[in-house]
Amino acid sequence: MATLLFVPVAAQPPRPANPPDIAGEWTLTNNEEDTTAQPPLGDYLGIPFNQAGRMRADTTAESIWGTPEYQCRPHSAPHQWRGLGGARILKEQDPLTREVKAYHIQFMRSLDWPVFMDHRPHPPAYAPHTWTGFSTGEWIGNTLKITTTHLKDGYLKRGGPQTSDMYAMTDFLTRHGDVLTITTYVDDPIYMEEPYVESTTYTIDLTSNVAMETCNGTAFAENGGTDRHHVPHFLPGQNAALTEWLKKDDWIPVEPTRGGAATTYPEYKPGTTPKVPQSKTSVDAAKAIAEQSPRDGQVHILPVQGNIYMLIADGTNVAVSMGADGVMLVNTGAASMSDKVLAAVNQLANMSVTPPGPNQCFGANCPGAWGWSSPYMNAIISSPAPARPIRYIVNTSAAPEHVGGNEKIASAGFFPRGASFGAAVEGIGRHASIFAHENVGNRLSNAPAAAQPTDTFFDELQKLPEYFNGEAVILHSAPSANTDGDSFVYFRHSEVIAAGSLLSSVSYPVIDVDKGGSIQGVIDGLNKILDLAVAEYRGQGGTWVIPDRGRLSDTADVASYRNMLTIIRDRVKDSMKKGMTLAQIRTSRPTLDFDPRFGSTAGPWTTDMFVEAVYKSLQEKK
Amino acid sequence: MRRILFGALVATLAATAAYAHHSYAATYDVTREITIDGKIVQFVYRNPHSFVHVTAKGENGESERWAVEWSGTTQLGNSGVTKETLKIGDPVVIQARPSRVQGEYRALMLKLKRTTDGFTWGSPGQQVD
Repeated sequence: MATLLFVPVAAQPPRPANPPDIAGEWTLTNNEEDTTAQPPLGDYLGIPFNQAGRMRADTTAESIWGTPEYQCRPHSAPHQWRGLGGARILKEQDPLTREVKAYHIQFMRSLDWPVFMDHRPHPPAYAPHTWTGFSTGEWIGNTLKITTTHLKDGYLKRGGPQTSDMYAMTDFLTRHGDVLTITTYVDDPIYMEEPYVESTTYTIDLTSNVAMETCNGTAFAENGGTDRHHVPHFLPGQNAALTEWLKKDDWIPVEPTRGGAATTYPEYKPGTTPKVPQSKTSVDAAKAIAEQSPRDGQVHILPVQGNIYMLIADGTNVAVSMGADGVMLVNTGAASMSDKVLAAVNQLANMSVTPPGPNQCFGANCPGAWGWSSPYMNAIISSPAPARPIRYIVNTSAAPEHVGGNEKIASAGFFPRGASFGAAVEGIGRHASIFAHENVGNRLSNAPAAAQPTDTFFDELQKLPEYFNGEAVILHSAPSANTDGDSFVYFRHSEVIAAGSLLSSVSYPVIDVDKGGSIQGVIDGLNKILDLAVAEYRGQGGTWVIPDRGRLSDTADVASYRNMLTIIRDRVKDSMKKGMTLAQIRTSRPTLDFDPRFGSTAGPWTTDMFVEAVYKSLQEKK
Repeated sequence: MRRILFGALVATLAATAAYAHHSYAATYDVTREITIDGKIVQFVYRNPHSFVHVTAKGENGESERWAVEWSGTTQLGNSGVTKETLKIGDPVVIQARPSRVQGEYRALMLKLKRTTDGFTWGSPGQQVD
């Protein structure tokens, strides 16, 4: 049985009888660090970077802010308390008990940051990540502890130090009279050897009013040029500014400026490796990543937007459009999951049918009534229509996890193809139609008839001939991407894109060069998605993008993945220009800063295989 | 023709903006200065930073589209620059700090001069902040 995103009932959190009132307008006093002077490039003092975090910071260009997808993003969560403009803390009350249900924290360049006090659980790992994340609060004595998960990747500080999207953040807010002390733990297992800790001070200010910075950025690009897909970054070793600031502060040795857990302890001296108690991360990165795409033999259902649901089917996502016309599936999952995918689809289909309820209309003039008897009688004796069947399946590639369920699931559906003159031919018109790119059809030519595409396309795009569930559905080809037959599907009214193999939040893209795939094709496909997708506000939400594997994503997530692939492409390309062999490029580790997040040393798609695919697809064709 | 002048060393880092969302010093190479000689195609007068978009001919004669970052509206307003000050098509010569990213057509305004009437911004005391 599929499991929906239900919120279990839980007890109220323990709280003191009279918790301090932290609501109000607060002014940043910031005795700890002058954050009005933005940190110079290369200043990683006090940051417990690991090797990947250091490389990521070294190669990050600040002008990434100017890309269309990031122009309106708020400050990343770890920087908000240190950002300028003060903080506003509001209380949301239960209207009956007047208890605080949630705090809402706002900064000048932020979204609303809700902190739920009702002890609700955090969402599953396959739910979307946001700039503010998902926060719950609890009182520990007179200190409010805020636990935040589901954060997007961003930055620890401006000017280089980055965070992954796998970090957890814990804030402790303690009020002492008019002073509010915030102690923040940023626990990023991808880029840090241990949590980064900082404290920030605010004072209550009865006269201040936190301003809101509007964003006018989306109408034009800030980075100049004419390439809207430009991704600024420094190649490894190219960022010459990392030690620029040390010319002025020449009393600081270089070594501690590179960060690392050992350098953050008082016992540290340059050139030594002190024995210090290292508090390791409490976030199990491998487990947290795997949970975004659980391989548990089950189907989980995540409602997305409009008509669309995301089924997480044992490691592969299936997009479902559900409505009055019936059901459309984008991909069918592995063959072994067909029965459970069908059960989940049936569960949704039955839910979408209006259940019987008390009649709300009396008399002969009830609208929408049909039949020979009075509308009143028709209504009172009505029963819900049966769930609508599966009409369409789209295969975004010929990968087994995309077409494995075709035969069983298509056979369970019904599309009235040739219902009259074709009805005499056995099989025709009795199962769902299957759409795919022509090259998918070619690869499935030996599959059982019911598993083969019924309609293929070879052009840039294929529109469904008419609305389905009240909206246009458009298949876009992604030429030479993961293979030569990939596509993604755009649900134009629901504002959801099923990205197929182009996007994954748990691995590098699987690129089959022998089947016509290429790194450039994947990047082009992601750019095409970014051209179609629009963020709702502050660079998040809006058009949702369902990845092949992993958590539900939005424009910022797609941009982040596109940025990573562009950066890796450029690094490999640069190495090839220098005449390096594949073996030498592998040894140089062009993916080092992304490997803890997306890499793998075992399994069906390793980092070495990915780098080889990038290398081969960048080789000039002879 | 755009001319790039190398080696114009600056002793101090660029001032930072009170409401800046990114770091000037991290974004722009404060040790270099370039000259952009072209025509305005867009003037975005806004907060937190304004932008002047200019097309200019590159070293090989090809058209380049530059985004030159300027101050926010309050700072510009204090120096007499309004949204009416610059028009599309105005020929300008701009001295600017280039982006730290090679090949990027982005720069930070140091000085702007309109060649038709001599209007100038960037005299001592006028800097992007």
